[in-house]
Amino acid sequence: MISFFIQRLLQAVLVVVAMSMLVFVGVYAIGNPIDVMIDPASSQALRESLIQRYGFDRPLYAQYFIFMGNLLQGDMGESFIYRLPVFGLIFSRLPATLELAVSAMLIATLLGIPLGIWAGYKPDAVSSKVIMGVSVLGFSVPTFWVGLLLIMGFAVELRWLPSGGRGPVTELLGMKLSIGSWEGLSHLVLPAFNLALFKLGLLIRLARAGTVEVMSSDYVRFARAQGLSESKVLGLHVLKNISIPIVTVFGLEFGSTLAFAVVTETVFNWPGMGKLIIDSITVLDRPVMVAYLVLVVVLFVLINFVVDLIYGQLDPRIRIKAAQ
Amino acid sequence: MKPIVKQSKHLALAGLIAAAMLGGTVSAQTLTMGVRAGPDSMDPHWSTLGGQAEALRHVFDTVVMADDKLQLKPGLAVSWKPVDETTWEFKIRQGVKFHDGSELTAEDVKFSIDRIPVVTGPMSMTIYTKQVRDTRVVDKYTLHVRTKAAAPTLPNDFIRLFVVPKSIGMEARNEQFNSGKAAIGTGPYRFVSWAPKGDMVMKRFDGYWGEKQHWEQVIRKEIPSDPARMAALKSGQVDLVNYVPATDYASLQRDKSVDTFIADTVYILNITPNVKETLPKPVKVDGKEIAANPLRDARVREAMDLAIDRRTLVRIVLEGLGRPANQLMPANFFGGSKNLPERPFDVNKAKQLLTEAGYPKGFEIDFFCTNNRLPGDSAVCEALSQMWARAGLKVNANALNGTVFFPAQQKGEYSLWMSGWGTLTGEASYTYGSLVHTADAAMGLGAFNKQGYSNPAVDKLLEEGSRTMDDNKRRALFEKASELSMTDRALIPTVQLQTIWASKAGMMTIPARMDQETLAYEIKPKR
Repeated sequence: MISFFIQRLLQAVLVVVAMSMLVFVGVYAIGNPIDVMIDPASSQALRESLIQRYGFDRPLYAQYFIFMGNLLQGDMGESFIYRLPVFGLIFSRLPATLELAVSAMLIATLLGIPLGIWAGYKPDAVSSKVIMGVSVLGFSVPTFWVGLLLIMGFAVELRWLPSGGRGPVTELLGMKLSIGSWEGLSHLVLPAFNLALFKLGLLIRLARAGTVEVMSSDYVRFARAQGLSESKVLGLHVLKNISIPIVTVFGLEFGSTLAFAVVTETVFNWPGMGKLIIDSITVLDRPVMVAYLVLVVVLFVLINFVVDLIYGQLDPRIRIKAAQ
Repeated sequence: MKPIVKQSKHLALAGLIAAAMLGGTVSAQTLTMGVRAGPDSMDPHWSTLGGQAEALRHVFDTVVMADDKLQLKPGLAVSWKPVDETTWEFKIRQGVKFHDGSELTAEDVKFSIDRIPVVTGPMSMTIYTKQVRDTRVVDKYTLHVRTKAAAPTLPNDFIRLFVVPKSIGMEARNEQFNSGKAAIGTGPYRFVSWAPKGDMVMKRFDGYWGEKQHWEQVIRKEIPSDPARMAALKSGQVDLVNYVPATDYASLQRDKSVDTFIADTVYILNITPNVKETLPKPVKVDGKEIAANPLRDARVREAMDLAIDRRTLVRIVLEGLGRPANQLMPANFFGGSKNLPERPFDVNKAKQLLTEAGYPKGFEIDFFCTNNRLPGDSAVCEALSQMWARAGLKVNANALNGTVFFPAQQKGEYSLWMSGWGTLTGEASYTYGSLVHTADAAMGLGAFNKQGYSNPAVDKLLEEGSRTMDDNKRRALFEKASELSMTDRALIPTVQLQTIWASKAGMMTIPARMDQETLAYEIKPKR
């Protein structure tokens, strides 16, 4: 178990190093960040003094080693744009993204899996056809456009919900979250639903495909022959057996939702991390880009680790294999 | 959730009625502004970014201020005059209070000037103090600023000179300002809270020296996405928005729940022909590269100018939101020329000139521009390449993200490009000194002259102008430099852009500022 974890950690370190190199080379290839940031009225002398101050005149490998040296001492550097420590900057935005992503995953899971099982259980029913139709829409219609439609419908025309932004925040579980008040929740509904839509479609299809396959298997027939109620057959035997692919996709999707919710964040002006990274890229704020991507790598590694643990819980065969 | 929204509406209504019953003209009103861009820090000396200055003007005052046409007016200095060639005397306003209750003196102004080089970031504010050699406090309300050379434009630079109290000390940095500890100004609003890319909240400062403020609380919501900003206005989340996209303008004019306000801006889209001996990428004639640079020929530049139909650009491409431009800044700015004619549109003459210059079949050239910096930049860019096609030129338009465009332009990789330039100081030396004076690092001039244009006559006029303290003489010199360089087509101006604000109907009047700043203290409620 511990060796498994250490192995994963080593992999993560390698990925982080490779990724930081890519960012450095990438930014270097685009050009000098100073040229993007500098005021048009600056003189050549000022430009050069700035380039020197930020060390952009040094060769690329030297800039990289200075960065890595600082990183090993636990210093990720400061944002060029805000002159604030980058981790503080990113973590100040993390709760917003976290609650958005978690709400979206909850909506997708709690709606998607039951609907998918139903569609697989009664594949010929009209309701199942409708569910499958919705799921196709869910992942074929662009998030951006759906977001705008939701705003036009619920915020501009009906005026039931706010059009964007984050509601008042309260301290919950040591984080500043907006789910503690009705107003905060009302701000969360539209963006969370918008973000959930794609995953909802995906989970419905996964659950349906699994259910169709499992329903014709021997153990379901035996379970029925045993006289178990249909709800027990579905809830116990079917759900457990279709869970492995669902958990895999859930893990991957959760990671990418956390890291790249940027479209939804932009449409709903949600002050999350995605917007921060996009803004940083447009001004070549390299420290923020590197730190953010490091965080994303760590997040993915963590989520995958948890997914592996859950596999073991769901399927005893995997546990046995790991033990051997 | 419906009842909550309703309830808050009722509460707001109740508040309004209560305020009206109290009978005061100054009621407890909140103004919520949905703005495209915001500050990077609460330190007014950190960055020259437009959104930064716009936001911080609410909290901090500047020594000199600019009216909506960008002409100078008194700010924290009531008057200023040169006492000799290299010394300006600023008389500081008396009885001005900082938000912490202390009084403003010349010491604070001196401190602010000294502080800038110590704390400023990559968008360096030192461009506004670069002419300053040192400062001397003569008495409590008099400051002498000695300059490195004659500096007639120093008061223009001080439009961005924000004053902070000396008591915050030289150690205060962005973190102290963002937390509010050091964010103490003399402005009409006091700082309440802000986080990067988040809302900036301000409360009225009742001890303000200027006009009494109507809005008790001001919230600046940063909403960079255009559709999201428009939706926030339409759903009533914000009271006003800036930078309304041209595509929404037509529908907003028909919408009775919304008022719109339009203003000319300082931004002009200029085409820059590279006139260096050899181009970074040679042009092609009949598919073959040629060694010569056709853009060095004045007839070719004139032909390209003549092929541009500016009225169509405004009417069709910009949906009416612009004006044809004939020079690099609006003619009414200091040093702008009123003698320059409107640029004619004549394709036949353009073809004839190209033939005379030895390119009867035209040539093929790459053309670069930004696609995200100014409204309509990429659309104008593509329209231009089609207009030139009618004159026989094959122009490959490439609209790029500014993140890619600016470094490459700085490195001199482009033969022909278009970018926007805004004369934010309202006078000519800023624009012509950077764009058309021969590039000269030692003199600090021509920093953005990447096209290799060099005309000794223009240089002489600009240099003489920058030394001349007499306003009328200086104005004449700059007018001449404008005329000369524009007839040379050192750059080819195309269109001056306009900007739009939109607000809830009948709620307020937004002044048409040329610098596009949205300033709560200049927004008056409609009665």
